Formats: sequence, C-alpha cells, structure tokens
Amino acid sequence: MWMSWLAALALAGLLLPRTPGAALAIVAGQSLMAINFFFLDKLVKLFTHAMAPRTGNRQIPGRFFAFATLKVLLVYGGAFALIRTRAVPFLPLTCGLSLLLLVLFLQSLMRAAGYAASPFARRAPQTAATSGNAAKLAAFFFTLALLAAPVLAHAGDTATQAAPVQLAQHDPAQPTTPANPETATQSEAAATAHAHGEAGAEHAEGGEAHLPNWIVILNDYFPDNPVVHWMHENEYLVFAWLAGLVFLVFTWIAMRKPTLVPGTLQNAIEWIVESMEDVCGGMLGKHLPKYFPFIMAIFFYILTMNLIGIIPGFKSSTSTLDVTLALALITFLYVQINGIINLGPLGYLDHLAGSPRDIVGFAMLPVMIPVHILGELVKPVSLSCRLFGNIFGEDTLIVVFVGVAALALKASLTALAVPPMAGITALFMLLQTLTAIVQALIFSLLTTVYLYMMLPHEEHAHGEAGHEHA
Amino acid sequence: MNFAATLGLALPIGIGLAAIGSGIGLGFMGRGAMEAMGRQPEVLPKIQVAMIIGFGFIEALTIYAFVTMFFLQGKIQ
Repeated sequence: MWMSWLAALALAGLLLPRTPGAALAIVAGQSLMAINFFFLDKLVKLFTHAMAPRTGNRQIPGRFFAFATLKVLLVYGGAFALIRTRAVPFLPLTCGLSLLLLVLFLQSLMRAAGYAASPFARRAPQTAATSGNAAKLAAFFFTLALLAAPVLAHAGDTATQAAPVQLAQHDPAQPTTPANPETATQSEAAATAHAHGEAGAEHAEGGEAHLPNWIVILNDYFPDNPVVHWMHENEYLVFAWLAGLVFLVFTWIAMRKPTLVPGTLQNAIEWIVESMEDVCGGMLGKHLPKYFPFIMAIFFYILTMNLIGIIPGFKSSTSTLDVTLALALITFLYVQINGIINLGPLGYLDHLAGSPRDIVGFAMLPVMIPVHILGELVKPVSLSCRLFGNIFGEDTLIVVFVGVAALALKASLTALAVPPMAGITALFMLLQTLTAIVQALIFSLLTTVYLYMMLPHEEHAHGEAGHEHA
Repeated sequence: MNFAATLGLALPIGIGLAAIGSGIGLGFMGRGAMEAMGRQPEVLPKIQVAMIIGFGFIEALTIYAFVTMFFLQGKIQ
C-alpha cells in the first residue's frame, strides 16, 4: 500500500512543475482508490464475519449497510463529481486510480512467484517465511520497473528523434514509441490529430517493422478514445501487464488446489521450479531461499512476455529496449544492494578493487578499480541488449516472412506464396519458442551468477568477476 | 562513396563477420561440451547448463552487431 503512495507522490512530484492539474489528479485518484479499498476491507470483514458458520446468527449487522452507503457516496460520488466537473484531467486521474490496483496486482504476482517457489505439500513451511519478505522486495522492484519503462521511453524519445526508426508496416501507422503519461496528456490532442495523418509511408522503407497487434486495430476503430490512444502509445506496457496477468492466472490455476500427487499443470510448474532450484542451488547454496523468489519472478515474467509475442495479434514487451533495460537495471540494483549487504561496505569496496592481498595487487589498484567498475556497469547493458536483440530479431524474422507472403498475395500468387511461407513461419515460430525459453533462462541464470559473485566466498576467484561477463 | 553507401556496405559485412566469429565460438563450445558429455554422462545436466549460458554469451556478440545494425539502419537513406 505505502508503495503506491510513494509512486503516486513521485509521479505527482514529477508532473508538478509542468502540469499541476495532472499531479493533483493523480493524488486525487490515488486517495479515492485508497478510500475505496479501506471501505472494501471493512465491508468484506463484516460480511465474512456475519456469514461465518460459528457465529450462529446469519444477521448482517447494521454497520455493514452504513459502511456500504458511505462507500458508495464517498467513492463513486467523488469519482463522478471529479469527472463530471472536469476539475481534473481525465488521464492522470485514471493513472492515480490504477496505481494502487497495479501495486496490489504486482504484489500478488510476486506472492504467486514466491508460492510457486515452494511446492507446498513438500516444503511449504520453511520457504513461506522467506518468500513473503522477498516477494515484497520483488514487488517493489517490479513496480519500479513498470514505472521506469515509460520514463526510459521518454528519454528514448529524444534519441529516436535523431534516427526515426519505428513504424508499423501494414497499417497507416502511428508512432509506436511508448510515451509516458505526461507526454500523453500534453500531446494528446496533437497526437490524435496526426495519428492518421503521419503515416508510415515516408519511413516505411527503413527501420523496424511491426506486425499489427490488437491494440493497433483497436486504435484504428476508435481513434479518438483517450484510453485506447493511451494504450496504443504505451502498448509495450500494456502487454507487459498482460503478461504479468497471464502468468498470475496460470500460476493460480495450477496451484489453486495443491495436492501431494500433482496434476498436470501443477506438475509442470513444480518441474520448472524444481529444476531451476537445482541449477541455482548449485551456485547459491544456502543463500538460495533468499534470492530464489526474485530469480523465479524474473524468469517467469520474461518467459511470459517472450511467449506472448508468438500468439498472433500480441507483442513481446521484451522486443523493446525500454522494458529489457528496466529489467536489467532492476537486476543490477538488486545485485549491487545485495552485494553491499552481504559483503558489508568495506568488503564491497574490496570486491570492487579486486581483493588486493599482496604488494602486486595494491600496485595494480589504479588499473583494477576502473576495470571492475566498468565490468559491473556493462552487466545491465549486456543483459538488456541480449534479451532485446534475440526477441526483437525473432520478431523481425516473422515480420519479414509475413511481409513476403503479403506481397505475394497482393500479386495474386496465392498458391505459390502461402503454403511455403506458412510453413517457414511456423518453423521459425518453433525456433522462437526455443529462443523465448532459452533467453528467459539465460537472464535468470546470469542474475544468479551475478548474485553468486557478490556472495562472501573464500574459494571463488575475485579476479574473474570483472572480465568474465563483460 | 558517401556516408550512406559506406554504411549500407559495412553493416551487412559487419554482421557477417560477427556471425562468423560467433559460429567459431559456438563450434568450440559445442565440441567441448559434447566431448565432456560423452566422457562423463553423469554430469550431463551441469554441463548442459554451463553450455547454455556460454551459448548465450557467445550468441550475444552477434546480437550486438545486429542491434547496432538496427540502430544505424535508419541513417541509410
């Protein structure tokens, strides 16, 4: 809960200098939702208390109705009044409303990951305690990730102005760069105006090509709807949330009724988790329970995001550098913070200096420190570029094949074009599945390796830490 | 030979070179891993994991070239 307040205040602070109205709206939406949840909490407690069989009388207390009335009046009345009077802009209000939901959703997501980390029937008790804390941490990092994505995208906007490289190939295309809510509000009118005018025509020959997804199609049908427009501007974010949701629902279905003899889905998830546990456990040893929820959360999140892109009409969020960079930066921060916690501030500095123990080591200090710092800084770059490049490359391949098929269709060479192209596309989709799994695995395993290097180990060689994974 | 032409010539060649290097690296890696697996089948999972991670690193080099190409591709016009 407090995290959403933090996020709301941070966002509001970010917006305050330029658009005070938007900042106000975010805070208003946030408080409205907080009140809503407060009342919901009370109502549910009262209701379940009344319905519990042991209380005997199935009377719903009067307080229930009082709370319900108050809630309806305050929350819905408030929301209605806010929207009706147009006291605050619409988009930031929605933003504020959704922030709390988002945080709750992410928290439950991470809980699910922590859950999945312990095949319940066998060793629930010992992991449950640790996974709770780790899940909170992971949820926080993921909130940061999702917040960071639009901000990074905004930074990326300036970069892409130099080399304008994004367009949809088949649609009268709109700028596909996700912009942050701030830009969305400010340039909303302008963007809607030239969303159709600025076709991909002049750029269509170079740069990235995207297959249209359902958000693009939705945007074509409802070009003036602000929500659809926002979704279109931030389609990577939407698909990232969707991926989280899919993963959450899947885990929930699989682990809803855990049995000692697992069913198909439960078996699948337990197999994934346990084999990952084996691999990571080999490196992390007794530190595994502390880090495992984070690693698994990263793994499942990336896996879902990768795999969702294979479904026609959907898009991999990881095929943009913004999302992967956000994920990699989170991993980087997590690793560094854990390094400081594990090694202690002095030990961390010692690690950065390459653990000099003899006279030669100390003589090499001026060289070793920059090398090690560079080695640390290169990690997120290589992590994010690897994931982005692989997923994006596979996506582009499919787009190229579909484009060839579309060209042949245009020239009415159906018999010639479609069967072989469908075959090739299907083949590469198989390959894409493999890439998706392997890349998710590599990302999480590298996270494990980085974490392992930050552990206080006597036996492992510090000297390799800097160069090995640069 | 202007800038765009140079870029248009150099980018595919660059990717090809990167792919050659990565291919050689993958070949060495795969050979080593296969030999190790053949010699000691009982540590197969460990070798496989290390192999996949190594593949990731090697493959990343080509991917870097690929990403660079996409960043620079917009300038060929």
